[in-house]
Amino acid sequence: MKYFTLLLFLISSTRLIAQIDSTSTTKEEEDYSIYENATFNDGQSKIYCNPKIFDLSPARFVSIAWDQQLPYDMKLSQIGNFPTDTTNVKPYETANANRTSGIRVFANIPVISSNKFLWQMGLNYWNMKYDFSDINTPLPDKSVINQLEKNGLTTMGLHSTAFKPLNAKQFILVQFAADLSGNYKLSDIQNLKFARYSGAILWGKRPNDRKQWAIGLSRTYRAGEPNIVPIIMYNWTSPTRKWGTEILFPARIHVRKNFNSRSLILAGYELEGQSYRMGGIPMMVNKELEIRRGELRFRLEFQRQIWGFIWGTMQAGYRYNYTFNADYTERDGSDFFRGFVGTQKYAMINELGGAAYFNLGIHLVSP
Amino acid sequence: MLQLIKQKNMKAMAKLFTLVCILTLTMSLTKEEDGDRLNGVWEPSNGKVRVKIEKIGTKYYGKIVWLKEPLDPTTQKPKVDKNNPDASMQNVPLKGYRLLKDFIYSGKDEWTEGTIYDPENGSLYSCVIKMKDNNTLDIRGYIGVKALGRTDVWKRLKVK
Repeated sequence: MKYFTLLLFLISSTRLIAQIDSTSTTKEEEDYSIYENATFNDGQSKIYCNPKIFDLSPARFVSIAWDQQLPYDMKLSQIGNFPTDTTNVKPYETANANRTSGIRVFANIPVISSNKFLWQMGLNYWNMKYDFSDINTPLPDKSVINQLEKNGLTTMGLHSTAFKPLNAKQFILVQFAADLSGNYKLSDIQNLKFARYSGAILWGKRPNDRKQWAIGLSRTYRAGEPNIVPIIMYNWTSPTRKWGTEILFPARIHVRKNFNSRSLILAGYELEGQSYRMGGIPMMVNKELEIRRGELRFRLEFQRQIWGFIWGTMQAGYRYNYTFNADYTERDGSDFFRGFVGTQKYAMINELGGAAYFNLGIHLVSP
Repeated sequence: MLQLIKQKNMKAMAKLFTLVCILTLTMSLTKEEDGDRLNGVWEPSNGKVRVKIEKIGTKYYGKIVWLKEPLDPTTQKPKVDKNNPDASMQNVPLKGYRLLKDFIYSGKDEWTEGTIYDPENGSLYSCVIKMKDNNTLDIRGYIGVKALGRTDVWKRLKVK
């Protein structure tokens, strides 16, 4: 009995002594050549391509940012019927937008994340508040400018991304988003029938760890009104891993400079926009009014790891107004497609001056 | 008489204690043997490295024993851990690098409480290993909670 107890004690002691310093790498000499001809125990394994390449700016799980535009002029037309080739419309409402600012929150959580399939679902919330001066409008209480100042513009949405590698080189990428945009408040969210849907499908190749490209088709509101456009993805990192590109044309083009694996800078542009249903405005026709906001943001963005998987971003640039025109849409929530050749008339032809802007964000990035 | 009963009780207690000890040891050894199924050489889905997992003390560790591209394309020298945020580790060769650390077998074909290091970006993740069958591992690296992570499939290799 005594010997047995002693044996137990010795076994447990040996196990305690065998603990090692896990921070060190192995030092023992080993003949690694024996692993060169190793074969799969159960036949061949299929290799699937990764959704990323080396040194891309990190994808984000959660993101909170503050976006602010510096002063610019706003000139809005009267609500009416304007042919698509209309120019030099006499302003009906004017104001100086001293500040256009708001919070942008984004979450993107992986539902399925394996080497065979990646599916992410997310939420986004964007809010833009307007601070005007020198307002000149014949309808002080019910004008578009008044509504912008009173409620601002809000976008809330759901989005989903699926990445399906077909083999070691080819993949399919599918994106879908549903957004509710308008001059509503969180306490009085507008009807879901006014949700606007966008999506994209791409097929691409990832020939090596430093390059991936894809071509596809997108239905997008980035230029304000719905459009169907071909898209091209081209992500590339130089052999020295100091430079690269992050391109999803026409939505964005960026050149990337990597300082190290924890900081980088992007230079380029992004086209961003949405269609906002404007409530609280008296209409002459039994229709809804939607402002088609589309803007080109030429910018520099510095990204840096703050701690662990928390990264910070600082972005500054120039916002060029692509469109702030408005359309009539149906009260049942349906939209229409004008594309680049349609002749449907605009409800408003508006002009916004360009503006400098900045954006500061903090993000939880993905592995 | 009373002393005789006491002696008998003592003997019975000793037998019971011995039995409990034997059972505990047997169960412990069985669990350890179950855990040792992780030992071996494995290849991640990208096929870029081969990792030998072995038990050191009470925990499981995995080190790189083969690289598909052993030389750094810019320096033409053996690859080192140049993306490590710790500058003192940036000259450590990747071959022999221990990228799986501190796993313990927690039963039900699962090894937990370990970490996985990604030399391609110098990041360290929490990690859990699940054995799907004797030749397949699901290796999930994550940040904080398992939902924020990615699973890779590793296959067992036979060393000739």
